[in-house]
Amino acid sequence: MFNFLGEIKDNIKNSKNFDLDSFNIINVSGRLLYVEGHLGLVSLSKELISFKVKKGVIMVEGSDMILAELSENTIKICGSINKVEQI
Amino acid sequence: MNFKNQTKFHIHGLNQEKLLSDLCKTVSLNEIERKEKNETTFECSYFEYKKVEKFLKNRNVKIVSIKHSGLAYNLKKILTSYGLILAVLLFSVFYFVQNQFILQYEINGVDRLSEVEVVDFVKENFSRQKNKISIDEIEFGLVDEFEEISFVSCMIKGQTLVINIKEKLWPDEMYGEFAPIISQKDGKITGINLISGTAKVKVGDLVQKGDVLIEPYTIDASGELKNVEAKGEIFAEVYNEGSCDHYQTYIQVDRTGRVVEQNDISLFGLLIYSFKEDMNFQMYEVEYEDLDLTNNLFLPFKMRKTIYYELEEKIISSEFEDVKEEYIAKAKENALENCDNYDTIIDEFYTLRHLSGVTIVNYCIITSEQIGGIE
Repeated sequence: MFNFLGEIKDNIKNSKNFDLDSFNIINVSGRLLYVEGHLGLVSLSKELISFKVKKGVIMVEGSDMILAELSENTIKICGSINKVEQI
Repeated sequence: MNFKNQTKFHIHGLNQEKLLSDLCKTVSLNEIERKEKNETTFECSYFEYKKVEKFLKNRNVKIVSIKHSGLAYNLKKILTSYGLILAVLLFSVFYFVQNQFILQYEINGVDRLSEVEVVDFVKENFSRQKNKISIDEIEFGLVDEFEEISFVSCMIKGQTLVINIKEKLWPDEMYGEFAPIISQKDGKITGINLISGTAKVKVGDLVQKGDVLIEPYTIDASGELKNVEAKGEIFAEVYNEGSCDHYQTYIQVDRTGRVVEQNDISLFGLLIYSFKEDMNFQMYEVEYEDLDLTNNLFLPFKMRKTIYYELEEKIISSEFEDVKEEYIAKAKENALENCDNYDTIIDEFYTLRHLSGVTIVNYCIITSEQIGGIE
């Protein structure tokens, strides 16, 4: 089966030197954010959703945001997404 | 109608981020929305809502509401609701059908009549269906069938047919026991108190035990014999006798005190061990004693102990005159044993009969007592 994220990672030169296996985030048109590899929610509100990843915390800012899906590894956030920041 | 099987939880509590992070490890959550600081709504699969509910309860999280939607939930709801309706309908039909029948019979007021006979008669001759039963028919049927019934009324109470019976009042002669009064002892009649029946003896007659004293009938002026209950009191002088024999010489057998024992051990009836001492008794008597050697049923060893007692004969001689008073007292004692239910002792005496080597003492106590009739 074709793995889109896997293909992207394999096309990078010296990809083994980078740690590319901790998490994946896809932002679709600023309305949908798909996350793989989260380690648990930190905060949840309509304006700010933050969650832990392997080497830090990802903060998603926006408005009218809801968690459309939350499973053991994945998160799907819907709403108006303004900023995605890793700290 | 939403066909997706979802359950929406509305919860209230602190630190919901941690709670949701833990919960999502077992159940996938959707549409998580923070309503207020401590209130959140989320959805999960309808088939996993019990797991989520248990998890929340274990964490002491207040569940504000649970809403189900989807095809499976609606189907289940319809089935359970219609199942209940069906059960009620079935019960109603069953109740209606069985309510049409008499299930129990209650008979009141019977004394001489048998309840079973009355119930059997009603069951055999009349329908159990309430709408086919005619109370009048049952009442007339019962009066015609049983001549003991003076008045009868029936009623249907629920599923019970209640039958109230008033029996006819008949004189005792109609259903009494027509047995004669029999003499219980030998004696000489001294008094008769006849209440009903015909006396077959008169004062001064000598009667034996078993003789008829009062017959259970009367003969009226026209010579017709009519059965009545024999009633009355018959008094008589009764001769109560007791005797005792004295032998001038007799042989008395006593134990000497010498004993020999024999022990037999058996298992399931088979003799497996026996021990017996030497015995040279000329005369002896034997006693047995059975013992269980074990208390279990697997090997029920039993022991029979046989004890031989040596006997010896002694010739006893005595003159009657020396022991006369003692033998008379014994004879009197024997005579008194026959004196039960007596009113007064009229007289008492004894006679002696001397035969070859034997003297027989007869003691007679004459009492006045009732020998037949009402006690």
